[in-house]
Amino acid sequence: MPKLTISDLKPGMRLLKPVTNPSGMVLLTDGLELTEGLIDRLRKMEIESVFVRGGNKLTRPKDVLLSELDYRFKKTETEPQMAVLKRILADHIAGLYEDDGL
Amino acid sequence: MMDYKTLRREIENIETLPTLPSVLHKLLRVIENPKVSLEEIGNVISNDPVLTTRVLRAVNSPIYGFPGRIASINQSLVLLGVNLIRGLLLGVSVFEAMKKALAGLWEHSVGCATAARIISQKIGLKEPEEVAVAALLHDIGKVIFSLKFPADYERVLEDVAQRELFVFQGEKEFFEINHADAGGWIAQKWHFPPALTEIIEYHHKPHLARQVPVPTAVVHLSDILVRARGFGFAGDPFVPAIHPQAWELLKLSEEDLEVILRELDDSLDVAGDFLALG
Repeated sequence: MPKLTISDLKPGMRLLKPVTNPSGMVLLTDGLELTEGLIDRLRKMEIESVFVRGGNKLTRPKDVLLSELDYRFKKTETEPQMAVLKRILADHIAGLYEDDGL
Repeated sequence: MMDYKTLRREIENIETLPTLPSVLHKLLRVIENPKVSLEEIGNVISNDPVLTTRVLRAVNSPIYGFPGRIASINQSLVLLGVNLIRGLLLGVSVFEAMKKALAGLWEHSVGCATAARIISQKIGLKEPEEVAVAALLHDIGKVIFSLKFPADYERVLEDVAQRELFVFQGEKEFFEINHADAGGWIAQKWHFPPALTEIIEYHHKPHLARQVPVPTAVVHLSDILVRARGFGFAGDPFVPAIHPQAWELLKLSEEDLEVILRELDDSLDVAGDFLALG
């Protein structure tokens, strides 16, 4: 899930959705990169969880995701277009990990 | 297994099932009636707080692409139209059955609906939401199998897992029809709009679609992309081959597919609340 509890947040993650207080006032805007200080502030504000970009994708190593991709394509990768599609998916998955460092 | 005619009758009589969610029971009367008015549908939904919540959550979900902007059932009906709401009602009312039929099928269906909406917008289809609803319901046949023949279907799924088959292969071996056939029967029985029926029936054979070949190809590709991305579970983990005619028809470039995948990820990132819908 892209919604992570505060204890799972790491510096460098980016907010997918703004963090608001119960009355809807924006405390942190979306796209903001989290730092130790900000995570600490969230904890003090007693916010339980926030939406993080890529929160549901990057919890597992890239190699695992790519070998799962191999497995999923194993019945059809020799069919027309399927090799292309698989390469696009592999690039896409690899790209998620590059984005993370931005 | 029983003969074809008996099987069809059994499947079509799904509304007599005691295991069917009670809310769906009530709704079937509305869904089955092709002449139902906006007002009647609105009343049925508004009189049921659980249903109201579900419909509002669904119309505001990433499936449709106007998240958070629809506040009332009336607004939903006006924006999406009766046919779409009929499909959507079925979607939100079978989701428990979907979850029970197959862990991951609901996620797969929402993923497909979202992908179908994104692809439809990309290629400039006029009714992306309609294609999204068709994608949400494309695997309804699996729910029907699981509701109607729970023990048999479980055996089919086990067999599929053990022999590493596609789920439609295992279904065909056992029932002599697959979930797309079963879904097509039930869609006809429930008087779904012809386009919706055709998409459900031909999502694995998009080249046979006559009325709505492009939307059918869109749902076919959505199913493939969502499986390829590894989102949800549709009965087997494998990516089916894309039909060459569907590929030709959609004319998507590699760049288009990259953009579609990124948009799909972003949409599904915020879909968490809707996926957990209860």
